[in-house]
Amino acid sequence: MRMNHLESKRGMKIIGVILIMYAALVASHEGEFWPFSIYPMFSQAGNPWTRAMVLDVTNVPDDELWNRTPLEQKPGNAVPVGQFGVDQIDFSNFVSKTDEWTTARLDAMHIMFGAQNIAHHRWMVSKVHGRMVGTDSVTVEIQPLILLTEEGSILNPHIR
Amino acid sequence: MKEKWYENIGRNLFEPDRSITPGELIFFKLFELFVAGYTIRFVWEWALYTQIRNVEVVLPLGIANYLDVSIFFTHHLSLILAGITTILIFFCFLRTGPKWLYMVVLLLFHLLYVIRFSQGEIPHSQNLIGMSVFCFAIGAWFFPGKERMPRFVLGSIIFFIGLGYTSAFFSKLIGTGIHWFDGRHLWLWISEKSIDILSREGIYEPNFLQQLALKSTSVASIILLFGWFTELIGFTMWWKKLRPYTTALLIGMHFGITLVMNIRFDAFVIQLFLVGFPWYLLIDRFVKSTPAKFEKWI
Repeated sequence: MRMNHLESKRGMKIIGVILIMYAALVASHEGEFWPFSIYPMFSQAGNPWTRAMVLDVTNVPDDELWNRTPLEQKPGNAVPVGQFGVDQIDFSNFVSKTDEWTTARLDAMHIMFGAQNIAHHRWMVSKVHGRMVGTDSVTVEIQPLILLTEEGSILNPHIR
Repeated sequence: MKEKWYENIGRNLFEPDRSITPGELIFFKLFELFVAGYTIRFVWEWALYTQIRNVEVVLPLGIANYLDVSIFFTHHLSLILAGITTILIFFCFLRTGPKWLYMVVLLLFHLLYVIRFSQGEIPHSQNLIGMSVFCFAIGAWFFPGKERMPRFVLGSIIFFIGLGYTSAFFSKLIGTGIHWFDGRHLWLWISEKSIDILSREGIYEPNFLQQLALKSTSVASIILLFGWFTELIGFTMWWKKLRPYTTALLIGMHFGITLVMNIRFDAFVIQLFLVGFPWYLLIDRFVKSTPAKFEKWI
């Protein structure tokens, strides 16, 4: 059978039925029922954000370890997490969305990077907060969260 | 009799007045190979990641709202699912098996997506391939045969791509408001993405376009406005004559997003490039017929 005008009309009717199903599924699942989506990426503009990164704080004195600093004055170099097979997006979500740092979660963070990789270094898993300040600038601040050493992980004592 | 509006869209998407050509059949099969290839790549990437990293369900998506998908995190179950999907899509490609087999592939594809992305992030870069498998599933089921399936599949994919972009425009309008294109919003996103890159690579340097956007609110606003407008007119892809122009703008927008936000959309852009332009005309210049065996696979 050819794709004639009748079949073309039938095609549009089927698309119509799919659209109803599409709308019902995304409406009842917060906009996402893969591969159906309302495509909400970047829909909420101007909101403060939180990401995560790891800094090498091997040479930072103990009494300065937990200080918050602006990004421009970060206390050590960024540790490239990609080199250790860690997915940055998943790592960032894990850090920014965890409210309670249980022993299991702290251990998971240590396992994620691996004692053999940390070796003699001291690595600081940090939250990074960005927000608009005034009308013409963005500030980015680093908040130390978990200190990773070869032996294990220590939660920022100011966060309980 | 006057044509109804949806009949007009249907005529532009499915082109019932045009005869099928060898070039169209060859292009369709190559496009199917592209979709099948990406499907196989995605399912294995997701299955391998799940096998190594996923421990608990942080965010249940889709069918994971009704089924505890953490059962697939162990015993190599995600890898087994990827294996089954690969075999089934092979049968689908050769048109062996029942008409609804592609729908089974889609269900497995969905299942693997919700298993892999149960960790908090909702990416959209694989949605176009997913929608394509969905359109292949509907086409194989309701419009089988070489005369109808290529037309329905490609037409419906173009319909959903156009709808998706226009939907993204309205999501922004509803989510933020008419001031969404304020350039300072772009500053926030650039700084956010720069942290991801710094963390992943250990180093980050803004490129020329980012420096330009960060220096001037007006430049940043114009960049956002161009992207937003392009999304709004996404649905104009539905009309055959406008399609190449809209597609070119959308591809331009994606290159812009890659430059400004460091987000790459390989599968998206290649697919836009494939479905947005009438490549069959080019193939028809060189090929005058297709073998009967090949036609069986369509």
